[in-house]
Amino acid sequence: MYAKLILRNVKRSAKDYLIYIVTLTICAALFYAFLSITSRYYHPQAGAEYDFTVLGDGMKLAILSITLLILFLIRYVNNYMLRRRQKEFAVQSVLGMEQHTISRLFFAETFLLGGVCTCAGILLGMFGSQLITALLLSQYDLPFRLSFMLFPDTALLTLCFFALSLLVIGLFNVRTLRRIKIIDMLAADRINDPQLGKSRYMPVVTVLHSVFLLITVLSGISNMRYYFDPRFPLPVWVMFYGVLLSPALAFVWPLIWLAAGACTARLQKRRWSLQTLLAVKLLFALLNICLFASVPRICFHYQISFGSSALGSDTGANRYLLFLLADLSYLICGLHYLAGSALNLWKEKRPAYTYSGQNLFFFGQIISRLTTTAKSMTLICLTLVLSLFLFLAAPALTGWAEGYLALRARYDIQISTSYNNVSEESDLPAGEDYELVSAFLEAHRIEKKSDCTFHLYLPRREEFHNRIKWDFPVVAISLSDYNALRAMQDYAPVSLGDTEFVTQWQSIATEEERETFLAEHAAVQTDAGTLTMAVISDDTLPDGQKPLYYTEALGETLYNKYTDVLYVFPDAVCEQLLPVMRNRFLQTKTPIAYADALQLQETFMAQYPEEPAGGEGVNYYLRTRTEQVNSTKASIFITHAAMLYGGIVLMVICLTILSLQQLLDASKYRCRFGILRKMGVEERDIEKLIIKQLGIWFGLPVTIAVLTVIVLAAFFFTTIRQQIDAYIGLGTLSAQVALTVLVLLILLVCYLISTWILFRNSVEE
Amino acid sequence: MKPVLTLDHIQKYYGNEGNLTQAIKDISFTVEDGEFLGIMGASGSGKTTLLNCISTIDTVSAGHIYLDQTAVTDLKPKQLARFRREKLGFIFQDFNLLDTLTLRENISLALTINKVPWQQIGSRVQEAAESLGIAEILDKYPYQVSGGQKQRCACARALVGNPRLLLADEPTGALDSHASQMLLSTLLMINETRLATILLVTHDAFCASYAGRILFLKDGRIFTELHKGSDSRRTFYEKILNVLTMSGGGQTNVC
Repeated sequence: MYAKLILRNVKRSAKDYLIYIVTLTICAALFYAFLSITSRYYHPQAGAEYDFTVLGDGMKLAILSITLLILFLIRYVNNYMLRRRQKEFAVQSVLGMEQHTISRLFFAETFLLGGVCTCAGILLGMFGSQLITALLLSQYDLPFRLSFMLFPDTALLTLCFFALSLLVIGLFNVRTLRRIKIIDMLAADRINDPQLGKSRYMPVVTVLHSVFLLITVLSGISNMRYYFDPRFPLPVWVMFYGVLLSPALAFVWPLIWLAAGACTARLQKRRWSLQTLLAVKLLFALLNICLFASVPRICFHYQISFGSSALGSDTGANRYLLFLLADLSYLICGLHYLAGSALNLWKEKRPAYTYSGQNLFFFGQIISRLTTTAKSMTLICLTLVLSLFLFLAAPALTGWAEGYLALRARYDIQISTSYNNVSEESDLPAGEDYELVSAFLEAHRIEKKSDCTFHLYLPRREEFHNRIKWDFPVVAISLSDYNALRAMQDYAPVSLGDTEFVTQWQSIATEEERETFLAEHAAVQTDAGTLTMAVISDDTLPDGQKPLYYTEALGETLYNKYTDVLYVFPDAVCEQLLPVMRNRFLQTKTPIAYADALQLQETFMAQYPEEPAGGEGVNYYLRTRTEQVNSTKASIFITHAAMLYGGIVLMVICLTILSLQQLLDASKYRCRFGILRKMGVEERDIEKLIIKQLGIWFGLPVTIAVLTVIVLAAFFFTTIRQQIDAYIGLGTLSAQVALTVLVLLILLVCYLISTWILFRNSVEE
Repeated sequence: MKPVLTLDHIQKYYGNEGNLTQAIKDISFTVEDGEFLGIMGASGSGKTTLLNCISTIDTVSAGHIYLDQTAVTDLKPKQLARFRREKLGFIFQDFNLLDTLTLRENISLALTINKVPWQQIGSRVQEAAESLGIAEILDKYPYQVSGGQKQRCACARALVGNPRLLLADEPTGALDSHASQMLLSTLLMINETRLATILLVTHDAFCASYAGRILFLKDGRIFTELHKGSDSRRTFYEKILNVLTMSGGGQTNVC
C-alpha cells in the first residue's frame, strides 16, 4: 500500500516539477559525461605520444566540487515540496499515520524521483560523453570516431554521488517534518503571504561594503606618489583622483546620513529614509565602477603601471578588479533591494499609467514578490554573473594557453640554460654538447631531422654581473646559428653586413615596446666594437628607411630572462664575446613517445640538474614537445572543461530556480488570475499579463547580470589585451565569445518558453 | 418594473454519456429591477451551478439566460468578459481579494479593468468605501484587516462599477455572526438606497431573511418560492425555517 502511495505521489510530482526533473537529469548527464574521461576504462584512439591519465584527479576534483552546488537546488525544491504538501501530511497524521512514517514516505518519494533522474541522466550522459571525447580529441588535433560505452566506475560514482546528495537532503527533510506540529501543518495553506516587510541583510551588506571602500581609499592613498607628477595628461589625473575621492565620499556618506538622522530626530522632522541612504550609495557605487573599470584601459593607453609594486605590474589591475567586483556585487544587491521601492514610487507618481487596464494588478504581482524575494534574486543574479563570466573567460584563458603552447613547443627537444645563479665566468657552460641526448635518441631509434647547438653571447662582458630584474642584458646569437634555427622552422635565411645587427622579437612584446627599443638602440656597443642596426628602405617615412627586425616564432627559450628581444650579430663579432648560455634545439623525424620523453628528461636531469647543487651554478632545462603538449593540453582541457561545466551547471540551476519560483506558486497565481477572469478581464489580456510577469522575473536578474558581466568582461579583456593580441587574436576571440553568447541565449529562451507554457497551463487549469 | 434577469428553462448536465449528473433539471424565473432575491437550498441542490451559469463562468446545457434583454447564452467568449465586467458584480464566500494589493487598489482594479479614466477613480473608490464604512482602512493590505472588513471591501469592489446585477455567493459563509449581520444590513441598505439588484445565494436561513423573495432549490428544481411582502424579518425568518423543515433540509427542532 505504501509503495503504491509513493509511486502515485511521484507520478503526480513529476508533472508539477517537470523543469526540476529535466534539470536534475541534465546535471546527472553532464556529471557522468565529464567524469567519464577520468574512467579507468577510458582509452580513446590516440597515438603513443598522448597520455590521458594526467587528466584524472584534477578533473574529478573540479567536477565534484562544482556539482556540490546542485545540493542547493535539490534543497530548494524539496523545501518547497514540503511546504506545499503540509496539508496532505496533516490529513495523513489525523488519519493516524505516525509522523515518522510520513517523513519516511516523503523521503522515499524524493529519493525515487531523484534516482530516476540520475539513471536517465547516466543514459543521456553516454551521448554527452561522446561529445566530451570529441572536444578532448579536437584539443589534441586527433580524429574522432563514435563509440558507445558505459563506464561502470563512472556510472557507479555518479549514482553514489547523487544518492548521497539526495540522502543528505532527505535526512534534513525528515528532521524538519518530524518537528512540525499537526495543527501548524493543517493551517499551513491558510496562512497569508508573509508580511511585506524587508529583511535586515541590506544594512549588513552596506557595512561590509563600507569596509571595502575604506580599503580602496587606503590603497588609493598608498599610490599618492603618482598624484603630483605634472606630466600626466588629464584623463590620467581624473582616474587617479577619481579612484581616491569617489570611494572616500561613498565611505563618508553613511556617516553624514547618520548625523543628519540624529539632527532631524532632535528637530522632530521627517528623517531621511534608508532608501535615501542606499540610493545615494548606489550612485556612488556606479561612479566607482566606471572609474575602476577605466583603470586598465587608461593604463594600457598611456602605458603606465598604476598601483604596481615590487610584486609586478599586474597586482594594480588585479586589486582594482577586486574593488570592481565588490562594487558590482553591492550594486546588484542594492538594485534588487530598491527595485520594489522604486516601482512603488513610480506607481504613485504616475497614476495615469497605474490606473489603466490591468497595470494595478501587474504592479501588485511584481512588488509583492520583489520585496519578499530580493535576497534570493540577488543571489541568483550573482550566480548568473559568475556563470556568464566563466563562459566568457574560458575561451580567452584557454586560447591564451594554447597560443602560448604553439609558440613555446617549436622544437621536439629544447635544451636551454640560465646563468642567474652563476657568479664566476669560469662556471659558464661553454662548449657543452649534450651528447647524452644524441646517444639516447640513437638507443631509442629516433632519427634526428635537424639539430642545432649554439651559444648566446653577452654584447659586453661587464654586463655579466647585471642581475637586477629590469636591468637584465639582452643577449646575442651569431648569424649562422640564427639562420640554422630559421631553417629548422622553414623560414628564409637572413644576411648582415660586417658591422650590422638585427633584432629578433618574442611575440608577447608590444608594438610600443618594440618601437621604443628600436629608436633607442640604433647602435650597440659590444666588446668587438660598435654595431649599427640594419635598415630597409621605406619610402613612406621621412628618412626613407626603417629598422629591420624579425618576429617569427623561434621558441621562447631563445631570449635572456626578463627580456623579449635577441640581437643577431655577425659570426666574427660573436667570436670575441662572452658566451653565457649554451642551448641545443632538435627536431626529430617521428614524434617521441610520452614514456620516452619522460625517460629522456630524467636521464638529462641526472647529469644536468635544473636546480644546481648548493644553489650555485648553471640551471639546465630540457623540454620535449611531447611532454609540453601533454601537460599543457591536459591542463587547458581541465580548465576549459571545468569552466564550461561550472558555467552550465550554475546557469541551469539559476534558470531552474527562476522558473520554479513562478511555477511552484502557480496555485496562488491560478487563484489571482481566476479573480481577474471573474471580474471580466479578457483571456488575451491575461495572456499578456503572464508574458509581462515572466518577462520581468527572467528579465530583471538576467539583464542586471548581463550588464555586470559586460563591465567585468571589458575590464578582464582589457587587462589581458596584450596576451590576447599575442596568442589568440581579437577576431578569433570575438567569434568564440559570440558563439558562446548565442548558445546561452538559446538556453535562456528554452527555459523561458517552457516556463511560459507550463505556467499558462497551470494558471488555466 | 422591468425584468433585469430572466432564466428560461435552464438545464445543466455534468459528466459523459455513461455517467450523467443533472445538476439543474429545469429552472425558470425572473428578477425585477431593484429586487433582493435569495436562493436557498441544501448542499447539492444546484445553487452554485445556477450562480455560475448566471455569472457566465459556466455555460448552460439547454435554455437561455437574458440580462437586460441580452441573451447571455449566445455571447462569444470575448463579449462574455466584457459583459461580466460591465454588468455584473461579485461577492464570494472567501472574499477573493488580491493579497498583493491594498484595499483601495483592490476596489480601483474593478474600475481600471472597466477603463474608467484615472481622474475619476479616486473619488469613486472613496465614495464606495465611505458608504461601506471602510474609508479609514483603505491603505491596508487584506491580511491586515478582519474578515468582515475584507468582505465589505469585496462588496465595495463589486458595487463601485455600478453593475446591473450583484451576485453574492454565500457572502457570510466565512464571517462571524456580528460581521454577518453588519454585512447583510449593508447589502440591504445598498438595495434600498441605491436600488441595486441583488441575487444572494445561501443556505443560511438568517442570511436569507434579509431578501425580499426567496427561491428554494431542491435536486435541481425550484421547490417553492417565498415572498417577504409586509412581514417583519422575524416572521419571514420563521417562514423560511418552516419551508426548510418541510423540504427536509433544515433543522427540525427550531426554537
